[in-house]
Amino acid sequence: MEQPIWLTFIVAFIFMNVLLVGMAYMTWYERKVLAAMQDRVGPNRVGWKGLLQPLADGVKLLGKEDLIPANADKIVFFFAPLIVFVVAITRVAVIPFGSISINIFGQSINLWITDLNVGALFLLAFGSLGVYGIILGGYASANRYSLLGGLRSAAQVISYEIILGLSLVGIFLISSSLSIRTIMEDQMRELTFAIGPLTFTLPNWYILSQPMAFVIFFLAAVAETNRAPFDLPEAETELVSGFHTEYSAFRFSFYFLGEYINMIVVSLFAATMFLGGIDGPGADRFWGIGILWLLLKVILFLFFYIWLRGTLPRFRFDQLMGIAWKVLLPLVLVNILITALIRLIGQGQLSF
Amino acid sequence: MSWNVIFFYALAAISLLAAVGIVIAKNPVHSAIFLVLTLFNTAGIFVMLGAEFLAAAQVIVYAGAALVLMLFLLMLVDPQALPQRGGGHPIQRIVGPLLGVILFLEVGAAIANRAIVGGLGNASPENIALVGGSTQAVGNLLFTQYLLPFEIISLVLLVGVAGAIVLALPERLGERLGTISLGHPRGTDMALPEGPSTAAPRTRADERATAALEATREIILVDDPDLYTGGRGDTRQSTVKITRN
Repeated sequence: MEQPIWLTFIVAFIFMNVLLVGMAYMTWYERKVLAAMQDRVGPNRVGWKGLLQPLADGVKLLGKEDLIPANADKIVFFFAPLIVFVVAITRVAVIPFGSISINIFGQSINLWITDLNVGALFLLAFGSLGVYGIILGGYASANRYSLLGGLRSAAQVISYEIILGLSLVGIFLISSSLSIRTIMEDQMRELTFAIGPLTFTLPNWYILSQPMAFVIFFLAAVAETNRAPFDLPEAETELVSGFHTEYSAFRFSFYFLGEYINMIVVSLFAATMFLGGIDGPGADRFWGIGILWLLLKVILFLFFYIWLRGTLPRFRFDQLMGIAWKVLLPLVLVNILITALIRLIGQGQLSF
Repeated sequence: MSWNVIFFYALAAISLLAAVGIVIAKNPVHSAIFLVLTLFNTAGIFVMLGAEFLAAAQVIVYAGAALVLMLFLLMLVDPQALPQRGGGHPIQRIVGPLLGVILFLEVGAAIANRAIVGGLGNASPENIALVGGSTQAVGNLLFTQYLLPFEIISLVLLVGVAGAIVLALPERLGERLGTISLGHPRGTDMALPEGPSTAAPRTRADERATAALEATREIILVDDPDLYTGGRGDTRQSTVKITRN
């Protein structure tokens, strides 16, 4: 499992570049799916089926004029988009893309960048750091709409971060670990039930033992990534475009990159925590099949993201807060209580 | 020099410089950014010490706390009305540095006496590996040896939450409950408050009579509101009465 540090850097470089390419094609995927939902064609001019559209968009964004408002706080204005982008892309460091080391060119290579023993907390912590980029960008733009977008984002993230963290506590209780790789390996075991004469096997995926936590986690994740129907910080009808109203060209593209990378990372996180990560038929035979399974689950989550955006209208801000504090928080606390009780009874430490 | 030493000095230097930045930054939002930077680098030092759980908890807890601080700054501080450097009350300007120097001397004395080091605990890497990791070690200590302080802290936080609710509560609970209802119950928004009115309908003549009465009103034309409210005692005001019939 130990490998030289230069090899880790190469693996990290590959993962992050794959993530960037994935982000580019996420925009293409989103536009195609949305177009299909709205009975349109979608991008189809640049390349076959519009597959080169992300590239053209990137070139266009880089070629645009970079505007800085006269009253802007220049240094903060410069750094804010970078915070969002860097924090988003760092989060992939604790996601495992396989549970074993593979052998390439005589080197044993881990399929993860680092196996932090508090990996899940790391992801949550960096998720809450990302919002600094949004609120500082809103502040530095010297624009009322931007500031309002930033303030909304801060209030939203503080509320939904609590839900996001608490919805995972049930999993931590069951697997008694905070390491994402350990949690994933836990889910690769098989559960065998016997009801009467029938025996059947199920994968030990945590979506089966924590279904309510899964739904709450996904709702909170959508809110945390500022996506529709929780995209209040950039609500066009109220705030022009929220915190990035004043941003143009490549500074805007960093916000854009950060948002989409966050979506992919959160989908990876959800797939690994609830859907068994690389687990699937054939995954134990070849590592590539495992990565394909993980990819499939991620695409499923991303489809849900787009589906929500294409279907639901935006919430009002008081509704957004009401959902978090009055509905989701009590539910998630009840979930923790029940999980803890069942766990204690299962361990024989509590009996009736 | 190993990588560990270089990383430690980088983290320590950045967190110290950022700590100085908190104090000397003129813009309060910049102070808050420096605060986050200090806390983040301290978390990095925790990671180097093998206390990953503390590092993650520090970032989660303090990043959220500093975010709320930044919200207060953005909502309550007017960037155009910041105090000048070297301003402030004379007593503040003397007592502030004095307290700072005293604190510095105290910390220095504690470090020089090694009083701050104390006895070595049993949190060696081997013992931590024995209980399964730093998270488990912290959890064990927190819920056995330090259970009472832990519970007292949660009580203090509970009092804080209760205090916030009391402060935000309106004078009478009913007022607020009336205004934030998510909608009228079916049909109530159309009903009259006290049932249908039983008074006789007003005639056209009645209305004209009251209109004539109400049409006489005073229009005051002054250049300066102080003149009218008697702020300067000057009675130079022009009052025009318009009667419309």
